[in-house]
Order: sequence, then structure tokens, then C-alpha cells
Amino acid sequence: MAEDVKPTRKNLMEIDDRIELSERGHDTLEKKRDGLIMEFMEILEHAQTVRGDLEASYEVAQKRLNMARAMEGDVAIRGASAALKEHPEITITSKNIMGVVVPQIESTSVKKRIDQRGYGVLGTNSRIDEAAAAYEQLLEEIILAAEVETAMKKLLDEIETTKRRVNALEFKLLPDLYENKAFIEQKLEEQEREEIFRLKKIKAKKERQEAASSTE
Amino acid sequence: MTRLRYVGSDEGGSNLAYVNARVRARRAALLDEADYRKLIRMGPNEIARFLEETEYEREVNALGARHSGVDLVEYALNENLSRHFRDMLDWADGHLYEQIARYLRKFDAWNIKTALRGIYTDSERAEIENDLIRAGELSDAQLNAMLDAANVEAVIEASSGTMFHDALVEAFDAFEETNLLFPLENAIDRVFFENLISGVAVDAGPAARVLGGQRLSTGSPTDIYHEFLIAEIDFVNVRNALRIARSGAEMDTADYLIEGGRLFDAAELARLVRNMDDLVAVIRESRYGDRLSDALNALEEAESMLEVERAIDVALVEYGDWLGSRHPVSVCPVVSYILAKELEVRNIRAIARGREAGLSEEEIREELVMP
Repeated sequence: MAEDVKPTRKNLMEIDDRIELSERGHDTLEKKRDGLIMEFMEILEHAQTVRGDLEASYEVAQKRLNMARAMEGDVAIRGASAALKEHPEITITSKNIMGVVVPQIESTSVKKRIDQRGYGVLGTNSRIDEAAAAYEQLLEEIILAAEVETAMKKLLDEIETTKRRVNALEFKLLPDLYENKAFIEQKLEEQEREEIFRLKKIKAKKERQEAASSTE
Repeated sequence: MTRLRYVGSDEGGSNLAYVNARVRARRAALLDEADYRKLIRMGPNEIARFLEETEYEREVNALGARHSGVDLVEYALNENLSRHFRDMLDWADGHLYEQIARYLRKFDAWNIKTALRGIYTDSERAEIENDLIRAGELSDAQLNAMLDAANVEAVIEASSGTMFHDALVEAFDAFEETNLLFPLENAIDRVFFENLISGVAVDAGPAARVLGGQRLSTGSPTDIYHEFLIAEIDFVNVRNALRIARSGAEMDTADYLIEGGRLFDAAELARLVRNMDDLVAVIRESRYGDRLSDALNALEEAESMLEVERAIDVALVEYGDWLGSRHPVSVCPVVSYILAKELEVRNIRAIARGREAGLSEEEIREELVMP
């Protein structure tokens, strides 16, 4: 509120500094927002491709699993899946995109050779291999999708935050500062005019007094 | 229960006529094409209901309180398979018993693998028990000892007295090294196949050649049975060689080659699995080339093994049918029935699971291997 500000020259200078800083911040944030949006659009395109691949892989994996369950029986498939205790290792590191920390997920031992899946080769068949391979592919797609979609969501959050900051500067902070500045300038000018008027009055009074004393 | 027996003078004390008569009766009760046509149009619950009016009635009723839908169908099928095959072992005597048992030990292999997998992954005892198919020779006490085992080593210990024990002990070091069940599972399957073929004495005279496209009628029952086992081993080797070649895994041939077949020797196979084209060419040139030709074309075009699997299944089923009609009173109709029963169980399960998974009637029909 402009009325809360003391109309002093010191405050005016401070407000000028704040306006300058805020305008610079506003420009920087606008550039950041635009940059983030561009990054987001790129990631969005990638995410759409990844999501499409993921859905296609899921369809294939589910179909192969259904086929394997149908032809070999649930008991056989459950048995083959139980032949391996070891889980794929997931390592999460991070990278920085314009100040936004996004995860980089790396996986090891997802895709396996036939001799690494635990079950014996002699007592199983390729329906089980194909279902296992399809699910390994699906898991890799899920890990990639997790990385891309998390990055996308984090960028989206950051864009939202930056947009709110830009808007706050543009529609609240800077207008308030401009208003305060105008208020102080107006008050100072008014004070100046009052001061001149007062000085003129004093001068006139002094002249009147001098005239009176010279008459006496 | 008193059982009527044909007291014949079969070599090795076998009661061939009695067992064959019982098996013929069982074979007559198998589902026919019309039944499959009906089943394909049914949902899982309708299939369970349909099975209640067939040979599977006892099992569906017994398991109905514990399971439902497709699970009920699958468990009832496995239970029924176990009962029928155990009956055959009960009926058979002497050499015939040994011949049937050798074939049915595949279920012992299955049960030991199931116990190993369950214990290895710390599964609940009841879960492991549900997945057992008690159609082999292992007694309930032996199976229970495996289920109660605290670790993989204890399961191997519980298998002592079976033909699998020594091989498991030998493979245990490799298991400890890799912490993968792969060496143990392979050891079990290898023992099963090698024992299967090694116990069949080939009769003198020309061997019956069936799967090579030429059928000679001069083979004795044992001869024909021996040929069938060789073909089965060859098919397993073909399937596994193609799987290894496709996956690009660098494996010792001992991990996937079963001795006793005619198609590959270890040195040749080790070379062939490194080059898919050469491997396919060798299979095409082999006695099984004509049968597998279309499937191999599909493999080359679509890079899918499923056609090859199906072609192998069809070849074995056709061979099984032919086997059943060659020598009416011999081990051949018995083995043929085992194959037909397994096929029936597999087909019903495929229909039920396929319907549950939303596969179309056409897709299910394509996957079925009809007798």
C-alpha cells in the first residue's frame, strides 16, 4: 500500500533500487520460463514416444504371457518365474536442466540371456523365453518412461513456479513499487512546493517586517 | 480292491494285455473333436461345469471349494493327470512298469524342480504343494520331505534314493557359485532324458523310421518306442539349439544338448549355434526337415520360435497316434495314451486360459494341437 510508505528520498532511492532489481529478475525469470518451456516441449515429445513404446511393449508382453500361460499352464510359468531370486539393479543419479534437478535412472541386468534367467533350458521352451524377453523389454521401457516422465513432471512444476514468480513480479510487486515510487515522488514534489510556498511566505513576511522597521 | 489281471507270459513279467485293456478304456473316455468345439465357445466357469460331467468330475468336485474359474480347471486337470498316470503305474508290473515309469519320471523331475524353485524363493509351503503334479514315482513322504526342506541343499538331500540325487549333488557347486537354479534344473532334466533312452533295449532287426518321412512296419514295439524317444530327444535338441542360437548366449553344449539323439553331436552343435543360418540348414537337411520346413520359414521371416514349437508338438502328437495303432498289445499304446492324455490336458487348459485372457476362438484354435 502506497500509504504505508514514508515519502522520503531515502525510501525513493530504495524503491528505485528494488524496481531495477525486480525488473532485472523479471527479465531473467521470463527467459528461464521460456527456456524451461522449450526443454519441456522437447521432453514432452520424447515422453510421448516413450509412452507409445511402453504401451506397445505392454500389449506384446501381456499377449506373450497369456499365450505362455495358456499353452504351458500357470503352474509352469509361475515355476519358471520363481527360478530367479535376483532383481535388476536400479541406480538413480541426477542431472541439472536450467536449475531443475531431474533423475537419471540406469538399470543393469534387466535384459538377460537365456542362461541368466534361472530356469533350466532343457525343461522349458521358447514360449517361456518369449514371455520373459517381452517382460524384460517392458521393464526397460518402464524405467525409461519413469526417467522421462519424472523429468517432465519436475520441469512442469518448475515452469509453474517460475510462471507464478514472473506473474507476481509483473502484476503485483512491480506495480506496487511503481505506485509507491509515484506516491513518494508526488509527496516529495508536494513537500517541495509547500517548502517553496513557505519560504516565499517567510520571505514576504521578512520583507514586510523590514519595510515596517524602515518606516518607523 | 481286487483287480483282474491278465496273467500272461510276457517277457520281464509284464502284464501287457491287462494294462492295454485298461488303457484302451481310458483312451475311449478322452474328449473328442466335438467336445473341443463346444469348449472353445465356453467361458472358464462353463468349462469347469462341463468338466464336472466328464472324467474330471472327481477332481473338479474335490477342488471346487478351494479354487474357482481357470485355476480350478488347471488344478483339476493336473490332479486328474496325476491320478490317471499313477493308476497306470499301479496296474503295470515288471518290465512294462519300468518302461512306463521311465516316461512318467518327467513328473518327478517337475516336482523336484518345483520344490527347488519354491524353497529357493522362500515361497509358502502350500503354494509349492499346489504346484506339484503327483504323477511320477516319488512318494508323498519324499515330496513332503522336499516341501519341508529349509534350503536348496536340504531339497537335494531329500531327493536321495532317486535317480536325480547324484546329478543334483554334482551340480550343487555350480549353483553355489552362480546362485542360479539353472545348473540344478538342467541336471534334473538331463538325468530324466538320458535315463529315458538308456533303459530301452533296441530289438534286433531294422529300426522303424517314422519321423524321417518313411514308415517301416517291421519294427518291434520296443524298436518303435526307442525311435520315438530318439525323435523326442532330437526335437528337444532342435528346439534348444534354435533358442540358444537366437539368444546369442555363450553356453557349453553340455548345458543344452541331450545325448541319445541322432541329429547333433556336441562338437557340431557347438559350431552350429554360433551361426543360425547353418543351424537351420542342417535341420532342413535332416530327417525332420520336411516336417519342420514351414516352421523354419516362419522362424526366418518372423524370428519367432512359436511356429517351430507348434510343428514339434504336432509331429510328436502324430507320432503318438501312429504309435498307438502299431502293436495293440505292447508298451506303444500305453505311451500313446500318455501323450494323448497330456495333450488333452494341455488343450483344455489352453482353451480355459485363452478364454480368460480374452483370446478369440480363432486364436485359441490356432494354438491347439488336435489329436
